[in-house]
Amino acid sequence: MGKRSLSIALVCLALLGSAYAEESMSMSAADKAMYDELLENNPADMELSEGESLFGALIGKAGYAKMMGVSEKALPAYIAGFPRYVDSAKKVVTLSQTIQMAAASQGKEVPKLESPEMLKMTLFLKSLANGQKTAMNVKANPQMKAMMTLGKAVFEQQRGGRGLSCNSCHSSDIIGQRLRMQILPDLGSKANASAGTWPAYRMTKSETTLLDKRFQQCMDNALLAKIPLGSKEMVALEVYVTNMTKGNAIHVPGVKR
Amino acid sequence: MRKLILLGIATLLGAVDVAQVIESPDAVAILQKDALPKATVYTMPAGCVSDDPSVIARGKYLFHNLNGKDAKDAPPEGLTKLLPNGKEKQYGNCVACHNIQGAQGHGNVGPDLTKYHTMFVASGARNAPFVYQKIADARMDNPKTHMTINLTTKLFNEREVCDLTSYILSQK
Ligand code: HEC
Ligand code: HEC
Repeated sequence: MGKRSLSIALVCLALLGSAYAEESMSMSAADKAMYDELLENNPADMELSEGESLFGALIGKAGYAKMMGVSEKALPAYIAGFPRYVDSAKKVVTLSQTIQMAAASQGKEVPKLESPEMLKMTLFLKSLANGQKTAMNVKANPQMKAMMTLGKAVFEQQRGGRGLSCNSCHSSDIIGQRLRMQILPDLGSKANASAGTWPAYRMTKSETTLLDKRFQQCMDNALLAKIPLGSKEMVALEVYVTNMTKGNAIHVPGVKR
Repeated sequence: MRKLILLGIATLLGAVDVAQVIESPDAVAILQKDALPKATVYTMPAGCVSDDPSVIARGKYLFHNLNGKDAKDAPPEGLTKLLPNGKEKQYGNCVACHNIQGAQGHGNVGPDLTKYHTMFVASGARNAPFVYQKIADARMDNPKTHMTINLTTKLFNEREVCDLTSYILSQK
């Protein structure tokens, strides 16, 4: 990790510390020490560099930019605006889905959304936007508007074994309270900046995870049926959550508890 | 003719319709099947609340544990760690949101249920049917509740809701 990204990470940590007076309750001293260590030495940096090679071999920055109809120089700002409506896709897509499009347009085998290669390439592609701010625009076109509406509905739909929704634990009137020992995070806060910090390394799982896979982990924990990556509803959920955290800095790979 | 050939080459080059390769599975059916039925009013069955220690023990176990996989102690008589289909049984995990006597690592999303009988029932503010309904389907008096729905979802059966009600109302 470079000096600059490290200092950004440290600022994030400072914010994290001050955001909740009860922060100490959610992390033991040992966990906190491990977290600090990971901030300096993020295991996901390895995956990022693997992603760079994979992406280079499969598509390349120039090929990708050409397919998306932007200049290579404009890529960081363009990537900061995902999920977005893409004409040739005929729908709102995630970064991972554009990698599938790019692979196909080069006549290459299309990587699956669930594959480890996809995680690494998405991480690399997103890292091109490091230093930018999350800049998705839900008002850009009717398709984005519709996805925002759908995303809200999916976020608020009570379902599953316990009748919970994402909103049961992430609504504004409940964040900061404790579920067991865990502070319920404000997905939109600067400290979490969820859209700008995933893919992230999850300390408790010892693995790097995409934002939509993180949604699936919450679904699993709360007994909601897992909806598949790439489904319209999953992309809509990403639009909705990204919109909450708009304007926050992009800095991947993140480190999460 | 020349025009036709050019057109042929063009379609060949543009043969991959990128929109077709994007993975985009259906989730509508999954969400429909997973949907929560509408809020339901329940009548507390006769003999529901009991001070039988085995009933209280089950209620306590359901209250403090998440599921069969995570539970450390053996379940009391009348409860199992696995369901007949071999999957782990889910318990209440009530302690995730509520404090109560003897709670370890409790959350604070829901109200503190410590000394519930003395604090709320003796004063007449609450009664057993209220507690039963709250556990069974918390939406009845609070459509925007953050609490779990336990009977309408079939997570628990009537007896298990009674076990929990008995535990909360018991003198501990
Ligand atoms: C039962 C409570 C509960 C439900 C329901 C729930 N979450 Fe979470 N969620 C949590 C908790 C607790 C954390 C923090 C966990 C941690 O720090 O280890 C979290 C973390 C997250 C994060 C990561 C935040 C960050 O640091 O960037 C995201 C994103 C998220 N949830 C999205 C969702 C979505 C989307 C849904 C619905 C599909 C959902 N959650 C449902 C409790 C819940
Ligand atoms: C995800 C959080 C959550 C979980 C899990 C949870 N509750 Fe609650 N509970 C709440 C909230 C929030 C309230 C207050 C709002 C309401 O009454 O709907 C509440 C209210 C109650 C009340 C009513 C208290 C009163 O007198 O007003 C009882 C009784 C109760 N819960 C029992 C339980 C039991 C038993 C379980 C486990 C089967 C459980 N709760 C699981 C959040 C939760």
